[in-house]
Amino acid sequence: MTFEPLRWQEDPVRIAVFHDTEYLQAYFQVTAPRDIEWICKGRPVEELPRILTILSPSHHLASAKALDRLFGVEPPPMARNMREALLQAHIFRHHLRKLYFLISSRHNPFLDRQKRGNRGEPQLFPPHFLDEIMHHEALSQEAATILGGRCDHPLSAVTGGVSRFLKEDHYHRLSEIAEFCLKFAMRVGEFLRDEIFGDGKALDALGSTYGQNLQVEPMVSLTLAEKDGNVVLRDPVGKEMDRFSPDMMFEKIGFHNESWTHEPFAYIKGTSENATRKVQEQIGNIFHSEFPIPNPEFFFVGPLARLNSGEALGYPLAEEERQRLIEVLGPFPHFGVVAAYWALLVELVQAAEKMTGLYAQEKLTGPAIRTIPSEMGQVGHAVLESPQGLIFHHYRTDQKGIVEEVEVLGTGTGNNALRCLLTQKAVDISQARGEAWEETKNRIEISLLPF
Amino acid sequence: MGTNPVLNKKLAIFTATGCRACENAILDIHYQVSSLSRYADIAFWPYVLGSEWRDLEKQERIDICFFSGAIRTGGDREAALKLREKSRIMVACGACAAFGGMPGLVNMSQSSGESGQSQGTMDNNQQASEEKKPELPPLEPRVLGLSQIVKVDYFVPGCPPTQNFLWAAIQSLVCNGQSPARLSFAASRLPETIGRSITSGILPPKGSIFAGEKAVCASCSRVKEEKRFETYKRPYQAYEESGRCLLEQGLVCQGITTREGCGGLCTAVGLPCRGCFGKAEAVFDPGAKMVSAIGSTFDSDDAQEIAAVVDDFVDLVGTFYRYTLPTQCALFSTPPKD
Amino acid sequence: MSDFEPKIIAFLCTWCAYVAADTAGIARYKQKPNVRVIRVLCSGMVDPSYVLKAFTTGADAVLVGGCHPGDCHYISGNFKAMRRAPLLNKLLEEMGVESGRFRLEWIAASDAPQYAEIINQMSEEVRRLGPFSPSMIK
Repeated sequence: MTFEPLRWQEDPVRIAVFHDTEYLQAYFQVTAPRDIEWICKGRPVEELPRILTILSPSHHLASAKALDRLFGVEPPPMARNMREALLQAHIFRHHLRKLYFLISSRHNPFLDRQKRGNRGEPQLFPPHFLDEIMHHEALSQEAATILGGRCDHPLSAVTGGVSRFLKEDHYHRLSEIAEFCLKFAMRVGEFLRDEIFGDGKALDALGSTYGQNLQVEPMVSLTLAEKDGNVVLRDPVGKEMDRFSPDMMFEKIGFHNESWTHEPFAYIKGTSENATRKVQEQIGNIFHSEFPIPNPEFFFVGPLARLNSGEALGYPLAEEERQRLIEVLGPFPHFGVVAAYWALLVELVQAAEKMTGLYAQEKLTGPAIRTIPSEMGQVGHAVLESPQGLIFHHYRTDQKGIVEEVEVLGTGTGNNALRCLLTQKAVDISQARGEAWEETKNRIEISLLPF
Repeated sequence: MGTNPVLNKKLAIFTATGCRACENAILDIHYQVSSLSRYADIAFWPYVLGSEWRDLEKQERIDICFFSGAIRTGGDREAALKLREKSRIMVACGACAAFGGMPGLVNMSQSSGESGQSQGTMDNNQQASEEKKPELPPLEPRVLGLSQIVKVDYFVPGCPPTQNFLWAAIQSLVCNGQSPARLSFAASRLPETIGRSITSGILPPKGSIFAGEKAVCASCSRVKEEKRFETYKRPYQAYEESGRCLLEQGLVCQGITTREGCGGLCTAVGLPCRGCFGKAEAVFDPGAKMVSAIGSTFDSDDAQEIAAVVDDFVDLVGTFYRYTLPTQCALFSTPPKD
Repeated sequence: MSDFEPKIIAFLCTWCAYVAADTAGIARYKQKPNVRVIRVLCSGMVDPSYVLKAFTTGADAVLVGGCHPGDCHYISGNFKAMRRAPLLNKLLEEMGVESGRFRLEWIAASDAPQYAEIINQMSEEVRRLGPFSPSMIK
């Protein structure tokens, strides 16, 4: 039994379910490679932000950061603010879109209203609300276009800063947008709390179960500490287990390939050679056996991983939301689907608050947009928290600045293990409840969406 | 005023190997420009509606298919064939489908029959397992654009396509000449036949590209003075971010060989054009045209001097054919399906 | 491989190179038969697209022949050819076209022997390199 194509997934994905034994074995397959290495090798390194922008806007920003390091330049404060402002607009947009998908998941948003009403289907959510969500999505896209030159594949982050100054009328518009987005984030929060998170029944109707909150066995959370720029690993009970600087990334994180998917699996290497070897031996098993064994060496990234730090947020409205989450679901760390959706909401509010702070004329003006490098190194790296989780870039070039080696750790790789385990869990629950295959597919999609 | 099952067109929207920017652009049109449900029933849209291949098979026919993404795997090829068979009109949406896009650069590497995953930090599990495991669709030996697999009726270029031209394509092909008065300003850069189709509903000739015909320079806002290429500059070096033409400043800007329509998006932001709209109407090969354009503006008559400047140029193929290697590079491409 | 007869496309300018080629023919200078001549008004009008097109449609090598700098019938036409050549060479090289396959040469109208010499050299070199096929480039 295969489910293909899958809804809401950025990568081309297929779920294959085998029924050879009494139990179902589900495989989450990424069916096409992204070929980043081959696209980037041989390119002038300063072109990488424009090339890697096709992965996501956050990759565009991470690439520019890596170039700053490679060329040994520090962007001027205005450029740093503009890049951060762009990131927040994209976080807002990304999270809002996922919530849009959640809310629209049970009915076809393209049906005419009259027809929809006549079908007698239970109206879970008022249709005009979808329009409002997308209107605010458009606002955040407008902000992203102003700051990034283009929305989906931004352009403006370059070596040493950004590529051009903003215009007079942009500042006013940006602060307007920030205001609207913050107001709307609060309304979305109300709506979600009332309709979905409140008693969890609506989420149940959408395919997850609140009572049996769909989640995998707790695993490690991987995040970026804002204060010191280090990468933090937090164990399944929320305690910090390791903290290292980004240039040690590939010493701490290893990659494992399976024949049935193009996406590699990222895992935490052991502290000793023996420990690493043990992990490597186990990794194959976790996906081959009938009962996936939770492996504590896997980690996951994303909004939920970020909130699993258990730290209070520096933004009051977002912190209030986070407290509400704790009230209903209990203290962090969390690993379940409901918490993941709620984490999206918390970060949505936080992004809106950050936008309100950043979209001010004094933050986004300055004498220089970029620092011109005077020399060129040959190695650069950068780490960044993208809306979907932590990402990492590493480049090595020759003396002419042509890319020889490029490594991109994306959220697809970071969360690959999580998604595979979630898929298996969803299939198991579906089987236990005797659901039809359509329901199983829906359950899988709803569970994977917030990650 | 409701959906009209008789006149509504059936749409299919699908991405092969690529990002989701093109599909998101269509979603945006529905909410930000004009509701699609007046003119179309979206019969197959896996990304947003969760449609499966089974659902496509149940459809008798699809009127218009918006196909994005390059052809990288056997699965992509199959999908293209299936959708072409079911659809009356096939639109290659975005640079990947229209020209091969950035994935096309893989064709320059040694063995594109494997995936370009970094091997440096990998450790592959060598355990042979008895259990059955699913297979992956095979990789195509070369990355291809959609037109090299099936006959494509219309092209909407760009990475991602601009909302103007995507809306123009939808108005032209879907709306039966009944589109609302909100015509995009881009209509003035469109070829006459397309402009006419928006207002009258008569389809434009097959093979039409929803973009302008001239080069980007025609719509670029920068100031063009005398073309003289003195030194070669790379974008991390100092140059005037606004005002003067970038080619004149020594940057490699491909506006001169690229089809217009974006309105000079990148140059307006201070960056040189990289050709995501594909080659302009009158161009045979984008790389040759760039050589001609840059070469003719060298100021010197001394062969040594010129050779010294040329020596600084890097990665010509990856720059001139960044989005168009599989389809528009004369030496590397294979002919389209006819 | 020894049966391979290279096809060389030669764009020759009317005023100098073509005259040289013509003379070489009349004077029966020994030259390889592998050339197809395309007569153009000036070497400066040979757009790089023509060169690429020649390669895509079966040429194994391309020669562009023009007047010596300073002798161009149109004053500076050959300078245009000269300005394009290094960049075109670089592009071809990046695409895997071996360096012997494209040449820009100044050939005076009176210099028929030089023309024959160039043709013979090119034929031998291209014979050694083998047939050109676009699919060969990865």
